[in-house]
Amino acid sequence: MMTGRNWRPAALVAVVVVGLIAPFFVQDTYLRHLCIIAFIYAMVAASWDLSLGYAGVFNFGHIAFFGVGIYATGLSAKLLGVDPWIALLLGGVAASAVAAVIALPVIRLQGVYVVLVTFAFSQLVLQVVLSQSQVTGGSQGMVRVPTLWLPGYNFLRDYKFGYYYVGFALLVATTLALRRIATSDFGVSIRAARDSEDYAISRGIPIGRQRLKVLAASAFFAGIAGGFYVLYLRVASPEVFDFSTVSLVLSMVLVGGTSSIYGPVFAALLLTFVSEGLSNVDGLGVGRFILVAVLMVAILLYLPKGLASIFARR
Amino acid sequence: MTAPDTAPPAAADTAPDTAPDIALDVRDLRAGYDASDVLEGICLQVARDERVGLFGPNGHGKSTLLNTISRVIRPRAGRVAFMGEEIGQLPAQTIVARGLVHVPQANRLFPDMQILETLELSAYTPRARAAKDETLDRVLQLFPRLAERRRQACKTLSGGERQMLSIGVGLMSAPRMLMLDEPTLGLSPKLKDELAEAIAAISATGIPLLLVEQDIAFTLSLVDRMYLIDHGAISREVGRSGGVDHQEIMEMYFGTGEGA
Amino acid sequence: MSLDVISAILVSGLVLGSVYALMASGLSLVWTTLGIFNFAHGAFMTVGAYIAWTASDQAGLGYGLAAGIALSVAVMIGLGIVLERVVVRPFYGQRDFLLITVMSTLAAMIVLQKGTQMIWGARLKQLAPIVPGKATLWRTTISAQETLIIVLAPIVLIALQLFLSRTRTGRGIRAVGQNPDAARLIGIDVSRLFYVTFALSAVLAALTGILLGSVRLLTPQFGDDPLVKALIIVIFGGLGSLNGTIVAAYAMGLVEAALTYAIGIYWTPSLIFLLLILVLLVRPQGLLGKVTR
Repeated sequence: MMTGRNWRPAALVAVVVVGLIAPFFVQDTYLRHLCIIAFIYAMVAASWDLSLGYAGVFNFGHIAFFGVGIYATGLSAKLLGVDPWIALLLGGVAASAVAAVIALPVIRLQGVYVVLVTFAFSQLVLQVVLSQSQVTGGSQGMVRVPTLWLPGYNFLRDYKFGYYYVGFALLVATTLALRRIATSDFGVSIRAARDSEDYAISRGIPIGRQRLKVLAASAFFAGIAGGFYVLYLRVASPEVFDFSTVSLVLSMVLVGGTSSIYGPVFAALLLTFVSEGLSNVDGLGVGRFILVAVLMVAILLYLPKGLASIFARR
Repeated sequence: MTAPDTAPPAAADTAPDTAPDIALDVRDLRAGYDASDVLEGICLQVARDERVGLFGPNGHGKSTLLNTISRVIRPRAGRVAFMGEEIGQLPAQTIVARGLVHVPQANRLFPDMQILETLELSAYTPRARAAKDETLDRVLQLFPRLAERRRQACKTLSGGERQMLSIGVGLMSAPRMLMLDEPTLGLSPKLKDELAEAIAAISATGIPLLLVEQDIAFTLSLVDRMYLIDHGAISREVGRSGGVDHQEIMEMYFGTGEGA
Repeated sequence: MSLDVISAILVSGLVLGSVYALMASGLSLVWTTLGIFNFAHGAFMTVGAYIAWTASDQAGLGYGLAAGIALSVAVMIGLGIVLERVVVRPFYGQRDFLLITVMSTLAAMIVLQKGTQMIWGARLKQLAPIVPGKATLWRTTISAQETLIIVLAPIVLIALQLFLSRTRTGRGIRAVGQNPDAARLIGIDVSRLFYVTFALSAVLAALTGILLGSVRLLTPQFGDDPLVKALIIVIFGGLGSLNGTIVAAYAMGLVEAALTYAIGIYWTPSLIFLLLILVLLVRPQGLLGKVTR
């Protein structure tokens, strides 16, 4: 821990600098696209780590929060004509609000029932999207979502230059915010509640309310990520709710190591490139999901604390 | 209380090519949970016609010892032989099949199963199944209370009834030796007497006993010999020749102060 | 509401309920015995149906349906055992056992589902019905296969109950679920019964898949919807109780059929979920169940 303190800020500054100057060296549109997708997954994975890792809430509806962000931002920008920047924020707020509602039963439940209810919830969101096709586009997906804009700048220009920086800024802000939450008194108390519920109760920590807050916070960042996702791609289909998305992002959390925030971020960056790279290999378009799943089991078997444990030596 | 300086009788380094009259032979057994050893090299023997008590303060490894012998937990070192055969590496179910039966402390058994069902199921190994009907009659005779409640679920039983069922379950497994862990835990004096009688009756059929028990009077009424376990090792052995002396036990339990 | 409508709701509710009961009973069995929630259960159903299709269909090996069912059952026993060995057993006794196995069975589900897609392709397939033709129940005409589902499900479930309450292995499985240490101490080979349980639940899922595979179309996602429904059912019925699960499965089938008639297919899942949340707010342990196993 002590040694970690010393090099960590320097390493982070280095990473941020690399991220800032990278577009000047990477001119390839496809590589930039992968970077942007990786930023989005990193935000989803890191925010999932807050509820699943730090708080120990068996939240398996996180991808649905991401999806709520996608559709809330996309639909408000497209159908209601809300300014895309505000729609982006709406995505986060909507996901957070939905999480607070789902938290009401969840905080009263134990163990496997939390898994089941959150999972069932994610399927419900999918069903709603599919059934309200006149609004959401149903299984055909949502198309022609407005782009982000700034006065005098068109985001479609410059080979995704603008999206890269917005995505990067969102990721850095999300990561810092999540770290801030995780290391605050609040974060310490939710970790205490995770490790020993009895202890937390004896110390007067209101576990239910804490878990509700954690879910809402964790969903907020997933929703923002979803909002950015749809403003960037300008289309969205219900496929994001698929079990394979769940397992892909879950594997990022696991590979990176839970309760670290940084771990899932880096794992997401890495795995997005690996997974996308594999999808271009013949015959691995589907097979890459199998590889990711196998990797997930391997991590559970051999590195239960994720890759971060190798470096952090905690 | 000083560290155990009275070495147990058997030399620990000899291979357990045990004498034919030894039922259970434990040599240098080590086991524990997580990082720490609870058992720090236990040696003890039980002869085929013997009833042996195991006595000592709570938390010094009595239950761990029984759990290790029956392989509920894994030994870290040492050897266990039963009826002249090495069993230390066998899985729990094979040890039961060989006839070494462990009745654990405060066994809650199978909460939603009926008593009769539980007893029938407990004749699980082939040897036990062969004698099932006969043993069942004997168990129900020994504990008439269980016969009365045969259709009730285990979880509805009182503490005493559950102890009886636990021992009954042990008997159904066709033991060639029984290890009982605190059979009187939480029982009234009257029930203890009943249980003592039942255990005496069982051992009278020629089944050797290893009895872990906190109640001295209860233990003394049943055993020929006793070991004192202290900080995960056998610190003393009492009453090898002849009966167990009550005075000696009191000394053992309450310290060596006035006896030394 | 006319009698025709009531009849239609009852009949389609019974078909759904039977399918759900067969699915959910396997989930519940694995839960009570091993203490894990098996997310690959829906994929078992899919794979079981596809194997039967390959062995039976003319486009496959063409050996006929009986051979298909036999092969499917045989493979599923093996698959169940392999899965238990690879994604469940290594984690037994770990502190976060439940969470870890949720993730590992989810991974297994992805492997099976994507594997199905790679082997059999995304094109739709359909099994031949075990019994062809139509049948009329009360005032509603359905396919004979659906009638078979209604008749067969209770028989299978009763057989399962008898197996668990009367046979030595079945009683052993219940004992292991209630107290594994005590089970070991009466000589039960706990590891072996874990295999048996997993294989049994895989066969139950495959059977569901084979029965449903001629009513619905086979896709790699064939088992997803029944899995999600089974998931909701076990929340309602309580995972720990097989009887509660079966009752909840039939109740769910009937409610779904009635809601579909009343408000249409699109809003039904949402309403069921709303109902679920309301129930959980009042009874966190499910309508019929116990919290712990």
